Amino acid sequence: MVQYLLYIDPGSGSYLVQIIAAAVLGVAMFFKNIKLYIKSFFHRPKKDKDTPPS
Amino acid sequence: MSPFQYHPASYRDPAGFVFELDGKLYRQVNTVYRTQYAQLMQSGCYDQLVNKGWLLPHTALNNNPTGQPEALCTIEPDRLFFISHPGEWSFDMLRDAALLTLFILRESLKHELILKDATPFNIQFRNGKPVLIDTLSFEHYHGNEPWVAYRQFCEQFLAPLVLMHYTGQSLQQLLLAYPEGIPVATAAALLPRRSRWSLHINLHIHLHARVSKRATQATEQQTPQRAFSRTQLLNLISSLESAVHRCHLKEDSTAWSDYYTEAATRDGYLVAKKELVGKMIAAVPNVHTIADLGANDGLFARMAAENGKQVIAADQDAACINRLYKALKKEALPVQPLILDLAAPTPATGFRNKERASFISRCHADLVLALALVHHLAIGRNIPLPMVAAFFRDVSPWLLIEFVPAEDEKTKVLLTAKQRAYPDYTEAGFERAFGADFSIEQKNPVPHSNRILYLLKRK
Repeated sequence: MVQYLLYIDPGSGSYLVQIIAAAVLGVAMFFKNIKLYIKSFFHRPKKDKDTPPS
Repeated sequence: MSPFQYHPASYRDPAGFVFELDGKLYRQVNTVYRTQYAQLMQSGCYDQLVNKGWLLPHTALNNNPTGQPEALCTIEPDRLFFISHPGEWSFDMLRDAALLTLFILRESLKHELILKDATPFNIQFRNGKPVLIDTLSFEHYHGNEPWVAYRQFCEQFLAPLVLMHYTGQSLQQLLLAYPEGIPVATAAALLPRRSRWSLHINLHIHLHARVSKRATQATEQQTPQRAFSRTQLLNLISSLESAVHRCHLKEDSTAWSDYYTEAATRDGYLVAKKELVGKMIAAVPNVHTIADLGANDGLFARMAAENGKQVIAADQDAACINRLYKALKKEALPVQPLILDLAAPTPATGFRNKERASFISRCHADLVLALALVHHLAIGRNIPLPMVAAFFRDVSPWLLIEFVPAEDEKTKVLLTAKQRAYPDYTEAGFERAFGADFSIEQKNPVPHSNRILYLLKRK
């Protein structure tokens, strides 16, 4: 296990939930990518919407 | 040189601590944090974050003020004129602080660093924009581990935002009640069933709560470490960003949200009042910081900021403060918006009640503006005028206060809801009450009204 200079408790099950969430999100991303790929035949791809909060 | 003082909230992280010396705040970086600090500074991460305005810049000192052998170096962060608490932020402030945390996390990964904590207490607001103040929040990223601060982010940022989103209520008080964050199990229990239909909220709150409960029951404290790829981590961050992005608090018009819009319609009243207030502020010597208490949507706070003052703009109305914050994001003025009930200002909290200072001890204002406020305290909240005066005496040496007489339309509205009389609520009663603590330096009637503006100096 990676040894950090940590002071917070990651919480019981917090790592496990991240692993489950990542698996679910991986599947979701797979289908999202297929959707985007199909869409890209008809539309120009949109720019990523992530912008800083400022 | 006087001895340094440990900051009472800076005790958790072994990487270093904040201390005060001769009225200035410094941060000591300990030798145990040597490689992490070097990577932050040398990888370009620090420069990148500071250039984006996401991290508070600092200057490195050449000496070791504490004299401790474990000190690697000491830095002096840029000074902020006011430290706010998350329980005093409006919805959009908390939402932007959450997004900033995720943006910094994403940026730091590019430099092989990761955030080791995710608490809103590490974020402050500077000229209407959130900024990370904890330079020691970064840890080495090895490319194969989950985010250690994931639960903290979910409980401290996501849970309150999602609760406000689904209830449509401003629930800032929850942040005061749960300084370590709202437990995911509590948030999950409070959320409506329909929140489960959102993939991101289901994962980060509902599933998180269920898995945590099972893990606790099974005393499975040490989850076997499995590789967690960079792509998986980036997907997780995107998902958290989506969850935060989807949170909105509908702005209903509240009792006070249209106060100045309505006041502006009264012939020349607001223009004349602005001019008079501006003149009276100019008469006070050496004013750098002003506290505008009962600021509404910050009309006078912004006016003072445009004239070069730093302003703390506090109001009880969350919608007004949120609107002020949104305006400040565009204007970038040195105004700190705050949700604050003056009849119960933020208390001192945390360990020994010393960790997080009370509003009164944090408010170092050279002048207090109290416009259209005294009737709300004296009549609305039944606080006797001498006690109102004593409050202002505690906060600032100068006070610019508006007396709103009983005959005023706004006071009449308050009085009709009350069954009791306020015999001392008169001009003479006001001067008598405030005269005990203050001397009257100026007394000017507000044109086009029966109100009076007093400039008072603490005795």
